[in-house]
Amino acid sequence: MSPAKPENPIPDELKAQGWKEAVKAFFFERLGLDSAAALAAHKRVPIHSRELFYFLGGMALFLFGIQVVTGILLSLYYKPSPDQAFESVRSIVTEVDFGWLFRSIHSWSANLLIGVLFLHILTTYIMRAYRGPREFTWWTGVALLGVFMTFGFSGYLLPWNQLAYFATSVGTAIAENVPVIGKYLLLMARGGENVTGDTLARFYALHVVILPLTALALVGVHLYLVQKHEISVPQDMIKKYGSAKKAPSMPFVPHFLFRDMVGWYLALGILAALAALSPTDLGQKADPFGSAPPNIKPEWYFLFMFQALKDLPAYLPSENHKWIEGETLGILFFGFVGLIVAMVPLLDRGAASGRPRRVLNFFAAVFVAFIIFMTARSLMMKPPQNPPAQAPPAAAANPEGTS
Amino acid sequence: MSDSFPRRTWLARFLGGGIAATLAALFYPVARFLRPRAATSSGALEVVAPYRMNELKQAEKTGVWPPPFNFGGKPCLLILVDGEPRAFNAVCTHLQCTVEYRAASQDIFCNCHNGVYDLNGRNVAGPPPRPLEVYQAVKKGGGKPGEEEIIVSRKA
Amino acid sequence: MKTTLFLLTFALLSGWAGLAGSAAFNPEPTATARSADDKKLAAPAETKPAESKPAEKPTEKPAEITPPASKPPASKPAETKPVAAKMPAVIEIKPIPDADNSCIICHTTPDSWDPKDPSQYKFYIPADSIKNDLHWRKGLRCQDCHGGDPTMLDPKAHQAKDDFHTVNRDGRLSPADVPDFCGRCHSNIEYMRHFNPSPRTDQLAEYWTSGHGKHLKKGDVNVATCISCHDQPHGDAIDRKPHGIRPVNEPASPVYHTKVAETCKKCHSDKELMKGRMYNGKPLLCDEYDNWKKSVHGKALLEKGDLSAPTCNNCHGNHGAAPPQMDSVANACGACHGKIAALFSQTKMRHKFEAVGLPGCAACHGNHEIRQPSDDFLGMKQGAFCIRCHEPGKEKYGATLAGAQAAEAIHAGLAQLKNGILHADETLAEAERKGMEVSEPKFNLQKASDALTNARTQVHSFKVDVVKKALGDGESVVKEVQGKADHALEEYQYRRYWLAVSLVPILIVIGLLVLYIRVLPIPEKPADASDES
Repeated sequence: MSPAKPENPIPDELKAQGWKEAVKAFFFERLGLDSAAALAAHKRVPIHSRELFYFLGGMALFLFGIQVVTGILLSLYYKPSPDQAFESVRSIVTEVDFGWLFRSIHSWSANLLIGVLFLHILTTYIMRAYRGPREFTWWTGVALLGVFMTFGFSGYLLPWNQLAYFATSVGTAIAENVPVIGKYLLLMARGGENVTGDTLARFYALHVVILPLTALALVGVHLYLVQKHEISVPQDMIKKYGSAKKAPSMPFVPHFLFRDMVGWYLALGILAALAALSPTDLGQKADPFGSAPPNIKPEWYFLFMFQALKDLPAYLPSENHKWIEGETLGILFFGFVGLIVAMVPLLDRGAASGRPRRVLNFFAAVFVAFIIFMTARSLMMKPPQNPPAQAPPAAAANPEGTS
Repeated sequence: MSDSFPRRTWLARFLGGGIAATLAALFYPVARFLRPRAATSSGALEVVAPYRMNELKQAEKTGVWPPPFNFGGKPCLLILVDGEPRAFNAVCTHLQCTVEYRAASQDIFCNCHNGVYDLNGRNVAGPPPRPLEVYQAVKKGGGKPGEEEIIVSRKA
Repeated sequence: MKTTLFLLTFALLSGWAGLAGSAAFNPEPTATARSADDKKLAAPAETKPAESKPAEKPTEKPAEITPPASKPPASKPAETKPVAAKMPAVIEIKPIPDADNSCIICHTTPDSWDPKDPSQYKFYIPADSIKNDLHWRKGLRCQDCHGGDPTMLDPKAHQAKDDFHTVNRDGRLSPADVPDFCGRCHSNIEYMRHFNPSPRTDQLAEYWTSGHGKHLKKGDVNVATCISCHDQPHGDAIDRKPHGIRPVNEPASPVYHTKVAETCKKCHSDKELMKGRMYNGKPLLCDEYDNWKKSVHGKALLEKGDLSAPTCNNCHGNHGAAPPQMDSVANACGACHGKIAALFSQTKMRHKFEAVGLPGCAACHGNHEIRQPSDDFLGMKQGAFCIRCHEPGKEKYGATLAGAQAAEAIHAGLAQLKNGILHADETLAEAERKGMEVSEPKFNLQKASDALTNARTQVHSFKVDVVKKALGDGESVVKEVQGKADHALEEYQYRRYWLAVSLVPILIVIGLLVLYIRVLPIPEKPADASDES
């Protein structure tokens, strides 16, 4: 292995060390990996009691990777048309080797990923890691949260079963309550008045092309910024040790990475267990002309919003004074909250100096409590029911069809 | 940790080995997944019938016709009419018994309540309220003459 | 002469009046009809110019049809007027615009009749009722069936003329007259052919063979006649709709397939009416309709809308309605259940039943309340049928022990296959719920169900080996399917097992990682790190 070019001969030292080093040198020189290697060697992660929080970002990245891989595998067999979607998923689950495994992993990993993202944004807030110069990291992160929740919403429709179909109907119907542009949003989302094959096509394009590209771009920027600005050191450690540089830390490569890998392997184990012990249901094929299954709900990460919208009365302040529709108010409220979340780096003016952010903390605590409470409440409501499975074939028990 | 160096090396080797093994183990299901699956009958719109022309011709001679085969989860009756294959959904439109071909009277009969269909699937006598669904049956070109395969298909 | 002139003038005047007012009764414009009317009115009233032009008339006049008389020519007017005793084959039709038709004018005007006086009110024929009548739709009018002169306005003129004797005894047909009255046209092939190229004209002959007909001949007038079934209820009710005989294939007809049973029930479930009537030496129970309604056939027809399901007339006949005789019960059932009837007809049981007077199929399955059959009809348990005659020690009609044993064996065989199918089906359902692919075994299981159906049919041969052979096909299918279903469940368990196995290397690697992490020292930060907080 000595593909020596005249300009860049391999140094003799390297040749002396062996072929492995020669290969490494080959790639490094041509791809300019020296700077990357330097960055990796330079990157350090603070050691402190809340170290666990720092694993969440890497975990999210790992789960995203899992989604990409399993998603690509599933897309080899999935057919995005109303008369074939359900059957193709059924085929994946029953006929393709290990199809059941990849489908369930994809489904469970989506849930885990969004859970991890919630925790990641929460812990970043707690650690005030968004303070300057890391505002754009926060903003790309918030955008990514939106992207991944859209991933979840669009992916949920793809199996085209009863729960998915009606959950999508209900979910997109909420869009109509946005003031002024609501109807337009609904039409755009559904590709028409109702949820049809056009909706499926649209959601598939979103899920497989538009959102992945957006996510890749945003994650790219996010990771670049994380490398550029280095891992944020908690303010109490800065105070304790005088400066960020003096706080104890460990190299990212290989120390933190190995710890990351423990988490990744745990996640892998959990996903495999979930896939085998609690595989995702096929459900029943969507019947647009039938009635919705009772107690239809979206996925858990939308439940708090869904429940809140359900709880709001139809008109506010009352039936007699119809100033604003309850659902519109709900949407505006959540939009407002989302705006606040995005603006946190700017709102928290005392971040740099370490001044406590009492007001923000109060609202954050209230909001988190609200999410937990609403989600729990919604989960305690009766779960959506599939109608009972099809009757046995005109069989012994029911000789109706026979003489 | 003066002792750690050789321990570290062994540990590192095991670790490397373990990671490599798990990665390889991941490839196995992926590789199997990528293999094309066998064609299935469920939900199919088109299938190759399990009987060839020569078997049908033989049935014509002996009078013993093969039973309906599975097409999209439903029984499919395959017969010869004037030497050409013809296929029907063999579920009676009255109360869903399986119908049979009667070569002697050149019709299709349902034992349950004496329903009779003609060879176009039309319900001509007895309780059946609707004709049988007729599928398209064509001989697959390119086979040995007399032993062609038959492709049965239906519209969605 | 004077009378003739008077009649002629009157007719001309009413003809012109009719031109203006005929829209009330004629659905279609009949320009040609009116000209034909005029032509006829121009002729002497007593002659019958209509009859002399038989061929042209039907095409010219869509609303009013003039059937020809196959009768002797006009020179004998007296004979062409129907008389009760003679009941000639046909009557002539005198076309006259409906607005001038005195029958219609009086009998369809509600104000002429007092609802509080039933003896009067029964002569009121609501217009919306008679407009639906098939005879009306074909162009027949009052005088064409009942005779009489529709040009005469004087009500007292009803009673005087002979031509009303066919109709009136106190203004109403006696039930005894009705069959012949209707049969006057409906048994006349040549007449009916004007309305239908292939008419049925045997209804009257059939009727006289029926239970109703025979009683009527003996003088019992409380029986069904033509209008009892074909017309809406008569009686004196305010909302009655008489003279509304619709075609049988119209859903509003009382003898439309889904309505037949209700119509029969009106008399046959009426205990007062059926009092004192017997069948086969036993009084009528008036429970036939209720029983039929609960039966498989009743439910199929009324609840599921299966128009092929039998109702009263399918087994008892229409016009020749009579209970099937004992040996022909199997023939009645065999019209649809052919295979079973064929099997049964070759058994010893059939001959035995005939000999002792048991009614074939109905001996086990009942006659009206034929329920969904169950495998438990067979065998020797209480509630089964076989035990009724074959009970060891209490055999009736010379039933044999071998028969009892055969019954047990058949029952056991059927139960075994049925349970096998159920079990296989449950296993398949469980496998499917767990996401395993079992569509092929599911399809094959249907073959087992078909075999069971066939075996149940073969039961009617009452031979153990025949039934066992039919069951055998099913058993082999069940065995194969059960095997596949069990295999699918095993595969499912296999996955969980291998998952558990796969967790081991994962845990090992995690363990190794943790150990390695502990062993790896954390180097201090190099002093020349760039200054970024």
